[in-house]
Amino acid sequence: MQKLILRGIAANKGRLALTVISIVFGVAFVSGSFVLADSLRTVFDKLSQDIVAQSDASVRGVEPEFQTGESETRFDESVLDLVKNVDGVGLFEGGIGAFEQVYTTDADGEVVRPTGPPVLTFSWAGESPLSPFEIIEGAAPTGEEIAIDTAQAERGGFAVGDEVEVATATGGELESFTVSGLIEFPTPGAYFILFDLPTAQRVLGAEGKLDSIVLSAGPGVDKEAMISNVQAVLPEGVEVVGSEVVVNETQAEFGEFIDIFGYILLGFALVTLFVSIFIIYNTFAILVSQRTRQLGLLRCLGASGPQIRFMVLIEAFVIGIIASLIGLFAGFGVAAGLKFLLALGGGEFPDGPLELQPRTIFWVFVVGIVVTMVSALIPAVRASRIAPLEALRDGAEVERSMRFRLIAGAVVLVPGLILLILGFTGSGGSTTTVLTFLGFGSVLTFVGVSMLSALFAGAAASFIGQPAEALRNVVGRVARDNASRNPKRTAATSTSLMIGLALITGVTVLASSIKATFNDLLGDAISADLFIYEENQGLRFSGVLADDLQDLPEVAQAAGYLEMQVRVGEDIVNATSFDTAAGSTIVNLEILEGTIEVGPDGIAVSDDTVESSSLDLSLGDSIAVEFEDGFVADLTIEGIFESSSLIEGDWVLDRGLTREHTNEDSIDFVGLTYTEGFSNEEARAAVENVTGAFPQLSVQDNTEFQDSIAGQINSFLLLINGLLALCLVVAFFGIVNTMALSVLERTREIGLLRAVGMTRRQLRSSIRWEAVIVSIFGTLLGIGMGVVLAYAGIAAIPEDFITSTAIPWFSLAIYLAAGALLGVAAAALPARRAANMNVLEAIATA
Amino acid sequence: MTAIDTPPASMPAGALAAHTDGAIKVYGSGDTEVHALRHVSVGFGKGQFTAIMGPSGSGKSTLMQCMAGLDRLSGGEAYIGDTPLSSLNDKALTLLRREKIGFIFQAFNLIPTLTARENITLPLDLAGAKGDQAWIDEVIATTGLADRATHRPNELSGGQQQRVAVARALASRPEIIFGDEPTGNLDSRTGAEILDFMRRAVRELGQTIVMVTHDPVSASYSDRVLFLADGQIVDEMADPTPDSVFDKMKSLGD
Repeated sequence: MQKLILRGIAANKGRLALTVISIVFGVAFVSGSFVLADSLRTVFDKLSQDIVAQSDASVRGVEPEFQTGESETRFDESVLDLVKNVDGVGLFEGGIGAFEQVYTTDADGEVVRPTGPPVLTFSWAGESPLSPFEIIEGAAPTGEEIAIDTAQAERGGFAVGDEVEVATATGGELESFTVSGLIEFPTPGAYFILFDLPTAQRVLGAEGKLDSIVLSAGPGVDKEAMISNVQAVLPEGVEVVGSEVVVNETQAEFGEFIDIFGYILLGFALVTLFVSIFIIYNTFAILVSQRTRQLGLLRCLGASGPQIRFMVLIEAFVIGIIASLIGLFAGFGVAAGLKFLLALGGGEFPDGPLELQPRTIFWVFVVGIVVTMVSALIPAVRASRIAPLEALRDGAEVERSMRFRLIAGAVVLVPGLILLILGFTGSGGSTTTVLTFLGFGSVLTFVGVSMLSALFAGAAASFIGQPAEALRNVVGRVARDNASRNPKRTAATSTSLMIGLALITGVTVLASSIKATFNDLLGDAISADLFIYEENQGLRFSGVLADDLQDLPEVAQAAGYLEMQVRVGEDIVNATSFDTAAGSTIVNLEILEGTIEVGPDGIAVSDDTVESSSLDLSLGDSIAVEFEDGFVADLTIEGIFESSSLIEGDWVLDRGLTREHTNEDSIDFVGLTYTEGFSNEEARAAVENVTGAFPQLSVQDNTEFQDSIAGQINSFLLLINGLLALCLVVAFFGIVNTMALSVLERTREIGLLRAVGMTRRQLRSSIRWEAVIVSIFGTLLGIGMGVVLAYAGIAAIPEDFITSTAIPWFSLAIYLAAGALLGVAAAALPARRAANMNVLEAIATA
Repeated sequence: MTAIDTPPASMPAGALAAHTDGAIKVYGSGDTEVHALRHVSVGFGKGQFTAIMGPSGSGKSTLMQCMAGLDRLSGGEAYIGDTPLSSLNDKALTLLRREKIGFIFQAFNLIPTLTARENITLPLDLAGAKGDQAWIDEVIATTGLADRATHRPNELSGGQQQRVAVARALASRPEIIFGDEPTGNLDSRTGAEILDFMRRAVRELGQTIVMVTHDPVSASYSDRVLFLADGQIVDEMADPTPDSVFDKMKSLGD
C-alpha cells in the first residue's frame, strides 16, 4: 500500500508540482502575514521601550473618557514645582509634545515629511538618562533654535547652523529657527523637531502647559515609594505611573494597530487559500478520473474502497506537507515584498529583521495540510466508489446526474445568499457577526455558483467559443468543443478565476459608486468654493485658520468643521462642530424642523437619532451635554436634520462653544465661499496667502477636491485589488494545471490530429483558444457576480452611505481582456508540451 | 538483395505514388540496437492496392510509418511522389501528410467532439481548403454514411466509425492512403465490408492504398502482397488469395 502511494506520487510529479504551487501561494501569504506582523510587533515593542529611556515614572494628565485630539491631556506647569520637591525624586524633566503639528519647510517652501510615519514635535532639554534622543552633531536647542533628526536634515537639505522656516501649530507667518543640532532616535522612522520647553509651548499654542513630567528615583530610593510620594502631591486630574505602565500602554496601542493590520493580511491570505481549494479539488478530481481503470484494477485485486480513499488522502497529505514547507519559507519573501509595497505606497515601517514564531510554523502546517486534504476529500470518496468492473470498461467516467448538481448547488447557494443579505443589512449587530455572515455567505455563494455553473458551462463555453471558430475555422472548432466537452471540469477550472474577479469587480463597483455618490454630494449639497484640509492622512490643524480666513474681505463665509465626541445622557456620541451661522450655508443639511444655526447655547440632532435614542428628544427640549474637559452645558434642541453622509456626527454643535472645551483648538477641514465682486483668482490668491502658514494643507476647489477624493479612492482600490490579484495568480496556475492534465488525457486525439495534418502552430493555437474560452467563461461569471454582489450590498446597506451606483465599464472591459490574456499565458506551457508530443507515440498511447 | 527489393522494371518512376530507397531504421544503440528496417527499397504504383505482411517485429509497421511521414528513417530515403521526406522539416511534413496522404488507423481514428462529416473534412479544414464538395458528398454516399453524417463517433458502430475513417482518407484525394490494420478491430463481416470498399476505391476511383495487415483474408483483397521478415522484403505475391497468402506466411514462420 505505502509503496503504491509513493509510486503514485512519483509517477505524477509534474501535475502534483503544479498543485503544490497553487497551495504554496495561499500558504505563503498566511506565513507572510504572521511573519510581518510578528516582526513589526518586535520593532514597535522596542520602540516603546526606547521612548521611556531610563526614567522610572511619568506624571501625566488623567486620560479623559473621550477625547477629540491626538495629544496628551495637558496639565498646568505649576505641577512641576510640586513634584521637584518631593522626597526621593532624582532627575525630573517636564515636557510637551505633539503629533503632526509643526513642520520644517525646505527651500521650495514644501513641508519636509516622511512617507508614512509622522512628524513629531517635542520639548527637549538635551541629552539625559530621561530622554531617548542622542545628539549626533551640534547642541540641544535653546530659544529660537531647533534640533532635528538626521533623516529629516537629509531630506530637507538642512545642516547645523542653517536657518529653517518652520510652520507652527498656531498659524501666522512661518518662523525662522536655527538648526542647533542633529539628533538620532534609536528606532528610525518618524521625523522629530525639538525645541526647548518654553519655545515648544509657544509654537504648540500651549503656553504654561505640560504633557508629562518624566522622573527617576534618587540614588537608593525605592521606585514605588517615590511614585506614591509623588502621587500624594498631585492635584486632581494628574497622575503618576511607572515607566513599565507607559511601555505596556504604548505596546498595547501599537499592538492593536498591528493586530488589525495582520488580520487584514490574513483575510486576504484566506481568500487566496479558498481559491486554491478549487484548484486542488479539480486536480485530484482529474487525477482520479484518469486513474479510474488503474483504481478499478486495484479493486479487482482486492483493495477495499476505504483503502483507495486512504490512498488518495495520503497523497493529499504529502502534497500538503510539501506545500506548507515551501509556503512557510516563501512567506519570508511575501513579508519582505509586502513591506516593500507598503513603503512604495507611503506606509514605511521601521526596519527590523523578519521573525519566525513557532505559532507561524504551527498554523502554516495546519492550514496547508487541512486545506489540501479537505479539497481532496470529494475526489477521494469518488475514487473509493469506483467499482472493480470499471477496470475493464473503456475509461468512460461515471457521471452523476446533473439534477443532483442542481439540487446540491441550490442547497449550498441559497443559505449563502441568505447569509450575505443578513450580513449586508447588518443583522446581528456586532462587527464580528456581520463579518462572519459575510464571510460564510460568500464562501457558500461561491461554492454554490461554482457547482451550478457546471450546468451551463458547456453551453456557455460553446457560445463564447463561436468567434474562435469563426476566426480559426476547425482549429477554433476543436478548441471550442474541448472547452465545452467536460462542463464540470470547465466550471471547476474557471471557479478560481470567477472568485478572484468577482471580488475585484465588486470592490471596483463599490469604489466607483462611492465616487459617484461623493460627486453628487459635492454637486448638490456642498456649496464651497474652496476646501482646505490635510490631504495625506486627514490630520487635524489649528482652528485659528478658519478665523483668519473669515477676516479676509475676499471671503464671504469660512467655516471650520470638527468631528468630535461628547456625552449626551449616558452615551458618548459623535458630533460635528462648526460655526453654524456660516457653516450651514456651505454644507447644506436637510433641515426637517427648526434651524441648524443653533448658536453657542443650542444643539441640533439627526432624525435617525431622534428615532433610535432612548431619550425623548423634541424641539425646544433642554439637554445636558458633557465635553471632554468635564464641562457640562445645558443646550436647547434648536433643530432636527436628516441624517447624511456629509457629516459624521449625529449631533451638530456650534464651534463657538466647543473650541472652549476641547484639549486643542483643532479642526478637520475648512470650507469657504468667495465674496461677490472678487474674481476666483483674486480670492484664491488671498486665501492661499493665509494658508501659507500651514504648508501641510491642501487648498482645492470643487473639481480639485473631487479629483483628490477620486485619487484617494483609486489608490485604496489599487491596494485592495493588488492583494486580491494574488487570487488570479493562483487561478492562473489552476488553468495551467487543468490544461496540462487535459492535454495529457487527450494525447491520442492530439496524435491523430497531428497525423492527419494539424501543424504544431495550429495545435498550439487550438489549445490557447481553449484556455481563453475557459478563462473568459470564468471572467464573465466573476464580473457578473461582482456587479450583482456590489449592487446587492449597496442596496442592502441601510445607511445612506452610497446613494449612487456606477458601473465602471472601462475597468470591467480591462478585466475581461486581462482574463483572456491570462488564458493565453496559462496555455503556453501545456500548448508547447502538446505540440512537442511525438505523433507516433501519441497515437499508440492506450 | 533480391530483385524484388527494387521497383519492378515495368513501372517507370513517374508512375510510383511512393517508394523507398535503401530505407534503414535502427532503434536504440549499442547492445539494445534493433534493426527494424535493413536497406528496404520498394515502390508502390499508382492505382495499386498493396498489402504489407509479416510476422510481429518484421518491420512492416515501421516501414509504413516512415513512408507516411510519421517517423523518420535512420538511413536511405522515402519518397511520396518525387518528394524525399528527409528533406522536409516538421511543418512541411505535416502539410504533406494532410495534402498528399490519407490515414486509416486500427482504432481511435476519429476526433470524438466532431461529427462524422466534420471528421471526414478535417484534413481539408485544417488546410483551410474548401475541398471538392461534390466529391465529398459522393464519398459519403458511397461509404453509406449519408444518414450518419451529423452523428458523433460515440453514436456510430465500430464499422461505421471505420468507414468514416476511410471516407476521411479519401476526401482530400491524397496521392496515397496508408492503413495500419484498418480492420483489425472489427468482426470479419464488417471488416470485409471495409476492405471491399477500399478495393473499390482503388478500382473505381484510382486510389493508391498501402495497408499493413497480419490477416491473410484481408491481404487477399489487395493487388500485391509484400512479405517482410527481419526488416527485409523477402517475397512478394501478385493477385493473392487467402490460401496462397496463408501458405506463404506459414513458410515464412518456419
